Amino acid sequence: MSDLSNFSRFARTFQPGEIIFSEYEPGDSFYLIQSGKVKITKIVGNIEKNIDILQPPEIFGEMAILEGAPRSATATAIDTVKVLEFNRANFEILMMGNPQIALRLLRLFAKRIYDQKRRFMLLTLEDPQARVADVFLMLDETQTAINQAMSPDLTESREFHITVDDVAHWAGMSSADVQAVLSHFSNQRRIELYQNRIIVKNINEFVRFVNSRRKKID
Amino acid sequence: MPKAAVFRANSVIYFQGDIEEKIYVLQKGKIQLSYVDMETGKKVNEIIQTGEFFGVKSALGHYPREENAVVLEDAAVLVFTVPEFEQFASQNTRIILKMLKVFSNQLRRVHRQVENLLQNPSMGNAENGLFRVGEYYLKNKMYSQARYVFSRYLTYYPSGKLIEQASRYLEAAEQTLTRYGDGKGPALFANIDQPGQSEKTESDKSQNAQTNPQTQASDSAQNSVVAKKYYDAISLLNQGKAKEALAAFKTVADQNDDLDFKQKALFDIGRCLLALSQWESVIKHFTGIIQSMPRHPNMPDILFYMGQAYEKKGEKERAIGFYKKVLTMDTDEDSPIHIKSKKALTALGGA
Repeated sequence: MSDLSNFSRFARTFQPGEIIFSEYEPGDSFYLIQSGKVKITKIVGNIEKNIDILQPPEIFGEMAILEGAPRSATATAIDTVKVLEFNRANFEILMMGNPQIALRLLRLFAKRIYDQKRRFMLLTLEDPQARVADVFLMLDETQTAINQAMSPDLTESREFHITVDDVAHWAGMSSADVQAVLSHFSNQRRIELYQNRIIVKNINEFVRFVNSRRKKID
Repeated sequence: MPKAAVFRANSVIYFQGDIEEKIYVLQKGKIQLSYVDMETGKKVNEIIQTGEFFGVKSALGHYPREENAVVLEDAAVLVFTVPEFEQFASQNTRIILKMLKVFSNQLRRVHRQVENLLQNPSMGNAENGLFRVGEYYLKNKMYSQARYVFSRYLTYYPSGKLIEQASRYLEAAEQTLTRYGDGKGPALFANIDQPGQSEKTESDKSQNAQTNPQTQASDSAQNSVVAKKYYDAISLLNQGKAKEALAAFKTVADQNDDLDFKQKALFDIGRCLLALSQWESVIKHFTGIIQSMPRHPNMPDILFYMGQAYEKKGEKERAIGFYKKVLTMDTDEDSPIHIKSKKALTALGGA
C-alpha cells in the first residue's frame, strides 16, 4: 500500500463494537481501512444480517458520493479499526497522490453502476412472479463464480441463503406479496422454502420465465 | 505493453453481451457506441472522441459489454488488458480522476432511476428506518449501538416525528449501558417487543437467551476467542447449567488478554455461585471484587447479590445494610435493581 502518512488529519480510530455509520443515516463520507476489520450489516425483518467483513485496504461507504443518500447498511468496527475518512470535497487530495486507491475506487464504481443497472432491470418487470424470480437470477449472477468453484459439475439447482424479507427488499415489494408468490412457486415445486434458505430447483427455467415476461424494447 | 490495432470501417470491435476484458483508446478514425437506454427504451448512439477510452467500465467491473462498438471509419486503436491499463493509469492519476467523475455521475443517475422505481423512495423512509435500527439494537441489548443511532436521529431530525421517543430511548440506552453493560440487564421496553412474546414457552426463552449473547459476540469481537468463551458461558448459565458456566467463566477470568471480559466474567462467577446456593462463596467472591474493583460497572448488582447471600444465610441486618446501599448508589426508582432492593427491604421489614 502506498504511503499514507501525510493523511493523518483524515485518520480516525474506532473501538471494537463501535458503529462507524448506521443504516439510513445520511452519508457524507467514505472510508479507507488502514487496520482492523469492519463488519457490514443490515437489519432485515427482526435479524441483523452480516453482509460482508472488510479489511485493509478496502474502501467502504463510497456511495456517499451520491450526496446525502441514506446509508444502505451499517458499518461496525470488529476490532480496533483505523480508517482514513474522506468526503466529496477532499477526496481528490487523497486520490491524486494514491493512484492505487483511485483505481480501487474506480473499480468499485464500475461494479456499483452495473449492480444498480441490474436492479433497475429487475424493478421494471411488472409481473410480480417474474420480479421475484429475477431476484434469484440477480443473486445467482453474483454468486455463480463462487458456486462453480465449490462444485464444478454445477447442476440447475441453486441454494440461496436468504429469507422472504430479503427477497422483498430486492424486489421492492411487500413481504406479504413476496410470501404469496413464493408459496405459489413452492406449490408448483419450482422452489423449496426453508426458514433461512430457498432452493430454486431449475435456475434455467427461471431464466426463460423472466425473459418471457420482459418487455421487448426495440 | 498495449497493442496497436487497426479496424476497418463497418467492422464491430465488440458486441453487447460479449465477455472480454479489453480496454481501448481511439487514436485515429471514427467509432460509435450504440446501446438501448434502459429508462426510455430508445437507441442511443455515442461517437468516441480521438484520445478517448472505451470499454473501461465493463472491463474493470468484470461484466458483459453493454453496448456495440461499431467502426464508422477506418480506425487505429490501442488495446490494453486490465493490468496494462491499471499500470498506465497509475502513472496518469488525472485520467483516473476524470473517469471517477464520469463514473460517479453515472452512478448518481442510475441510483436516482432505481429510487424512482421503488414504491417507497429511501429518502422518505430514512427517518423511520434510522429509528427502527435504534429500536432493534435497544431490543437486543446492544446499548452502545442504540445510543449511537438515537443520538444520530436527534442530530439529523431535531424536529422529527419520533423525536420524543428517540430521546427517551437514548436516555434508556445510556442508563442501561452504564448500569449493566452491553448485552446485559433486564429486557427493556416490553411494549416494543412482538405481541405475544411474553407467552413464549420455556424452550423459546432459553433459545432467546442464547441468541442475544451470540449477536453480541459477533458484534464486538468477531475473532476473539475470549469473547466466544464468555458468551458460551453466559448461554450455559441461561440454560441453568451453573456448574459448567462457573468453570467456563473461570477460564475467562483467568486470562489477561481482554480485561473487559475478565471483569465481566468475574461478576458472572458470583452469579453462578449464587445459582449454586453457595452463599459463603458468593460473599467471599463479591467482597473481593468490591475491594479490588470499587468502580466495577455492575456494582449495584453486586451489592444486591451480597444482600441476597446474607439474607439466605439468615444474617438479616447485614442483608438490610447491603440493600440500603444499593438504594443510595442507584437512585433511579424505576431501575429494576432499585425496585428489587426496595422489595427485599420491605420483606425484611427494614424499609
